[in-house]
Amino acid sequence: MSYRDYVIAAYAVFAAIMLWDYLAPKLQLRAALHAVRQRAARSANRVRATNTELER
Amino acid sequence: MNSSAKNRLVRWFHQLGSPPTFDRFAARWTPWAYLLGLLTMGIGLYGALFQVPADYQQGDSFRILYIHVPSAWMSMAVFALMAFYAAIALIWRIKLCEILAMACAPSGAAFTLITLATGSIWGKPMWGTWWDWDPRLTTELILLFLYLGVMGLYAAIDDRRNAARAAGLLAIVGVALLPVIRWSVVWWNSLHQGQTIRLLGESSMDASMIAPLWWMVVGTHLWFVGSLLARARADNLRREAGKDWVGKLAGHESLEQAR
Amino acid sequence: MMWQAARALVGRDLQLVWARRGDAFQPALFALLTVVLFALALGGDAESLAPVASAVLWLAVLLAGLLSLDSLFRGDAEDGSLEQWMLAPVPLWWLVLVRTLMHWATTALPVILAAPLLGELLHLPRAQLPVLMASLLLGTPILSLLGAVVAALTVGMRRAGVLVALLALPLYVPVLVFGAGAVAASAQGLDAVGALLLLGAGLVLSLALAPLVAAAALRIAHN
Repeated sequence: MSYRDYVIAAYAVFAAIMLWDYLAPKLQLRAALHAVRQRAARSANRVRATNTELER
Repeated sequence: MNSSAKNRLVRWFHQLGSPPTFDRFAARWTPWAYLLGLLTMGIGLYGALFQVPADYQQGDSFRILYIHVPSAWMSMAVFALMAFYAAIALIWRIKLCEILAMACAPSGAAFTLITLATGSIWGKPMWGTWWDWDPRLTTELILLFLYLGVMGLYAAIDDRRNAARAAGLLAIVGVALLPVIRWSVVWWNSLHQGQTIRLLGESSMDASMIAPLWWMVVGTHLWFVGSLLARARADNLRREAGKDWVGKLAGHESLEQAR
Repeated sequence: MMWQAARALVGRDLQLVWARRGDAFQPALFALLTVVLFALALGGDAESLAPVASAVLWLAVLLAGLLSLDSLFRGDAEDGSLEQWMLAPVPLWWLVLVRTLMHWATTALPVILAAPLLGELLHLPRAQLPVLMASLLLGTPILSLLGAVVAALTVGMRRAGVLVALLALPLYVPVLVFGAGAVAASAQGLDAVGALLLLGAGLVLSLALAPLVAAAALRIAHN
């Protein structure tokens, strides 16, 4: 392998790991907000199911 | 700084500790930190790849230094920062500092991994092997284990506050022992491999070759700030999931996505 | 007051060990097993074993100590004694120190006493034995004290397992390096006193600091 291939390999590793470093918190954030929305939807459903008087 | 400016600064710090305020702060500044980091790193990498002349001894593989060295510095700096936040969190029980300390760990581990991988890739044309128990690489490997230990301990304990405080204590112990570990590995290396010192870019660098290194150092720091804020924001939201302000934020976000 | 508490704790620990005397041999047995496995893997002849004998012995002792860390606080955590410790009028770090030293005496000391025998199995050169024993006597208490910190951090967890090893190993590295290195230095004809003195200094520092850190960790876990 020429020196150039090693340089490319090193820079590629750098880019890949930095990409992960960028994506991981983004995905965590999205998952956290998604979980909150799902929980809100579940509790809203529960209220509607038990609250027959207020049903429109 | 006159007293009213100082009062405002202190008050701003206190307000930042409130979860919704921190969320807004992090959401606002994360993209800027990432963008500035990317730009400065871009300048540094361009210089490293296209402007700096090839080393007469190591050829083009010398260019790996411009990723390896900043990553190595970041791996240590982030560990120190993590221990600093952990110390504040343990002494003054500030929740935000717990979150910031734990948010440091994954990015620090990433930089450590980069250091190890680039060190190995650089070492192959230099030493002929993919790995050498050189004191610096060996210390980096142990540093990686320390990071993984902090992350593992934080994940393994159910109560988030206790988990952060236990992992924080581990980080403090780690930062205190790290110099001892490094010193012991250097001694061990000299005992078993004689006095040959492995040169990994220790040759004195010409001034024109240093500039891209500083761009990379600044760039990785800025990028890390973005990463830290992003992870801290996510952890903050997860911890506060039951609160009203999170519910509103989630609702508002889904409206934005629907548009 | 503190000496009374120490005597009470030592007495209780000795009684507990006596009640389960068979368990006291388990670390030594594990060290023996490790030695056997190394010998089998390396080929069993003196030329392959003698150069690595001291290092293998150090590893066997270290790993046996790692496995026995689980029993340091778990029994007391499960039956509620730890909470009594925290409410006691004696400092928590003192109780941790006494407990850790007792644990060392009952788990590591048997292994150290078995070391000459294990050395024979590995064709350890006789000249290395004194330095090996000195390094073990100085180094294993440090391993117990650092291990106490890790055990305290994980005391609440039921399946700590490999995590304990992952947490402890970076902390163990300097002790292993100076301990096994002292023997390696003497094997090369160099003076091992420097490494042994460093171990001694490490022991003094650990005696002073590790119980405090472990006590802090116990308080965090029991919050």
